[in-house]
Amino acid sequence: MAAALKPIRPLLGRRFKHLLGAAILLVACLILGGCLSLRIDKVTDGAEVKPLPQEFAVGKTTLADILASYGAPSDIVDMKGHFALHYQRSFYRGGQLSLSIPLSDVLRTSPKLDAAGNLLRYDAAVFIFTPDGVLSEMTYENGIARPLWNTYWK
Amino acid sequence: MQYRAIVLGIVIIAFLSGCAVIGRNKDYRPFDEQVLTQVKPGQTTAAEVTKMFGAPSQIVKLANGNAYVYDRTLSKATGVWLVLVTMANYDIQHDRIVFFINKNDVVTHYGSSFKTDTAAFGTPF
Repeated sequence: MAAALKPIRPLLGRRFKHLLGAAILLVACLILGGCLSLRIDKVTDGAEVKPLPQEFAVGKTTLADILASYGAPSDIVDMKGHFALHYQRSFYRGGQLSLSIPLSDVLRTSPKLDAAGNLLRYDAAVFIFTPDGVLSEMTYENGIARPLWNTYWK
Repeated sequence: MQYRAIVLGIVIIAFLSGCAVIGRNKDYRPFDEQVLTQVKPGQTTAAEVTKMFGAPSQIVKLANGNAYVYDRTLSKATGVWLVLVTMANYDIQHDRIVFFINKNDVVTHYGSSFKTDTAAFGTPF
């Protein structure tokens, strides 16, 4: 009888170790999960802004022409006599990697590592008018077409 | 082998636990585009505009009058909150109407853009 029970003991011991190891791993995963985080955000605000049509001309194009072509602007700015219509679309990308182990109660210091990057780009068209509503200046910027890495170091 | 599968299962369950969220935020009563056809530049007054569309979101003072700005926003958000990774995508679109009103309180020009129906749920990549 005693001889028959002998092989069972090591088997139970090994299974117990495996279960204990799995439990420790689960607890470690859950604890470290609170210390390490990765965040990725993307925000698009506004609709596409068209490039300037060739038929627009300073001194000729009127407020009615711009409103008919571009619709309502994102913003209207009074320039003390002149005024501007501002059409804009923004495109934001953000990312953050954070590793922090809260040990300040034990070691007086907490190891922490943060890496973050944010990129905000704009497509914009600005039309400046005389008080009578005639176009006096216009400009367009296609910021979304400029990738970060190709322009950052220039 | 079985032990490895259990460990792998535990890790996957631990790190994939979380939630997915799809949200829609609408801060307005939509414009009635049919009402806009009743606005006649040179005839419609500022009082009639406010009667049709309510109080403007913004009034911009200009040299020759004012601009009444009506802005409605719709944002659609998609997000996943996991133990390690948080990902979110927001698409914000606007319906806007702008009325230019002269010193006699008559509408001289107006422009409109209706883009809220283009707001879409998407991924952050």
